[in-house]
Amino acid sequence: MRIGPQARAVGAAGLLAAACVAWSASPLSGTGGLGGLLLAVAAACAALSVTRLALGTTPGEPLVYLNPVLRAGRAAAGHVRGTPWAEGLVIATLVLEALHHSRPWHTGLLGAALLAYLLAVHLAESRARLAVLRPQAPLLAAGVGLLALAVGAAMLPATTGSAADLMAILAALAAVAAGGLALRPP
Amino acid sequence: MAAQREQQAAGPGAARQVRPRWSTSAHARRLITLALTGLIIALITRRPEFVGVAAPAVLLLAARRPERPGQVGVSVRTSATRLSEGEDADLAVTVTGYGDHSVGLMVHPRYAVVPEPGPPSGGESRLPFRVDRWGRRSLGLLEITLWDRWRLAEGHATVDLPTVDCYPRPATQRTTVVLSRLPSRLGEHASRSPGDGVEFTGVREFVPGHRQRRVNWPATTRRGRLQLNTFAAERTQNVVILADASSDVGEPGSTPVDLALRGAAATAHAYLAVRDRVGLVIYEHSVRWLAPGLGARHYYRIMDLMLADHGLADARSRDVQILRLPRAGLPPGSLILVFSPLLDRRMVETLRDLRERGFSVLIIDVLNAEPSGRRDSLSGLARRIWRMEQEAIRFSLRELGIPLVRWDGQQSLDEPLAPYTRRVMVSRR
Repeated sequence: MRIGPQARAVGAAGLLAAACVAWSASPLSGTGGLGGLLLAVAAACAALSVTRLALGTTPGEPLVYLNPVLRAGRAAAGHVRGTPWAEGLVIATLVLEALHHSRPWHTGLLGAALLAYLLAVHLAESRARLAVLRPQAPLLAAGVGLLALAVGAAMLPATTGSAADLMAILAALAAVAAGGLALRPP
Repeated sequence: MAAQREQQAAGPGAARQVRPRWSTSAHARRLITLALTGLIIALITRRPEFVGVAAPAVLLLAARRPERPGQVGVSVRTSATRLSEGEDADLAVTVTGYGDHSVGLMVHPRYAVVPEPGPPSGGESRLPFRVDRWGRRSLGLLEITLWDRWRLAEGHATVDLPTVDCYPRPATQRTTVVLSRLPSRLGEHASRSPGDGVEFTGVREFVPGHRQRRVNWPATTRRGRLQLNTFAAERTQNVVILADASSDVGEPGSTPVDLALRGAAATAHAYLAVRDRVGLVIYEHSVRWLAPGLGARHYYRIMDLMLADHGLADARSRDVQILRLPRAGLPPGSLILVFSPLLDRRMVETLRDLRERGFSVLIIDVLNAEPSGRRDSLSGLARRIWRMEQEAIRFSLRELGIPLVRWDGQQSLDEPLAPYTRRVMVSRR
């Protein structure tokens, strides 16, 4: 059986969503009750975002004489289509990651996986080919480079204290802004 | 919608200008979510790696440019405006004036229109589709989506797709029913009377004035007198197809009306192929009819009559009888082939009248549904009574000398008609 490009994009988005949820949740111990709740929310968002992609964006033609079961099914599908599950997944996984103690390389990989997931979702819902992302390739490369820089900066031993932490954040923000200004396309 | 109102009136295939409605794309909204969440968590937890998580999204969002095409040209053509049920066709869509944006096309089909997988996007695309049920069908709406280079802004516009005529898919029919008495009009059926055809009927003695080239020399030698070959005259016949569209029951796509029209299309094609004159009467709330005629163009007139919009019947047209049709619509001596489920009492009475007036009538019964209901004993009894009534109607018609065959819409029409196509059908007055 041959798998079409649309099915491949939906499958890739599903795998990346599952990887993001599992990666941000591990280990679940030490995150408390909120961690379990966020894990459930993230898993639900992942499942429903893939369901939304599989359902497609086009609602079926409205039929007046549907039986109640079919009508409820159509209404449920409409809600699944209309809710931004991918945004929910992003927020839930990042908050879940933040509940853990600082582990910069782990967070960096999660950020890269989330970015890949968002791109896969976009390709699946717009039924576009991977080639449409070619113009963005330099920006994506620069963004991943900044991500690596930020992770590296976070892993450096630094003077402890809130002022030092704040300075590190401001430095990372400045690096992002500088990257944005330098790579601003014509 | 506003975009639809912007469409200029244009003929089929002509380019028209549509104005897209621009908005932030869903992709951009998701990137904003990622960037904001990463930055907020970084500030709250004071962990710089979350700024790194937000960095790619921030860079992509910073690349957004405001240039957008104000309007684009769209041209839509169909590869065929006349189709049969289930036949594949293409929509050729050309979008112009979109600059360096990318284009996505999506068909929102109407009832019975099935878009098939095709090329997903592009300025010039062919979108395959098919129509699954006969009728004059609007194909639906075409949604055009434009994305900028960074996929951060998207513009939507909709265009009405053209209307196509979907003819009923003709059933299979190769044989024809031929009456024993044919009108004296030149055709292809061998009649009982002698004439100038090619079918040999016998040998007779020469009479001065006969054509000498028809002399049968072996018979002349045996009998000692000049003998001639005789041939059958070739005649045409008038066939009137009566399609009963008054009772549309059962599953859409295989209702008695669907079967009647598919059978009528096959019959019209089969009789026109042997140069018979074919007419059509559609019996619904009102009566629509077409006088018998010949040729390929007449076939399309018949098919167009099947699709003609009959509108709502008024009180007067409900009482219109087939027998009130002018002589041109129901020529004397015609073979009348009736496709009917025999559920309408008026239809049954009309068939009796036709028979009593001397027409040769053959009914093709297309009833393929039963009343549905609960499975209790009372419903079962009601169904049984209904079946007995139907059997009684059919029995009374047979008793009047109207042959009746059943057709399920799946098999070839040749099978149920076989008893009447093997030999000529005797016309009884």
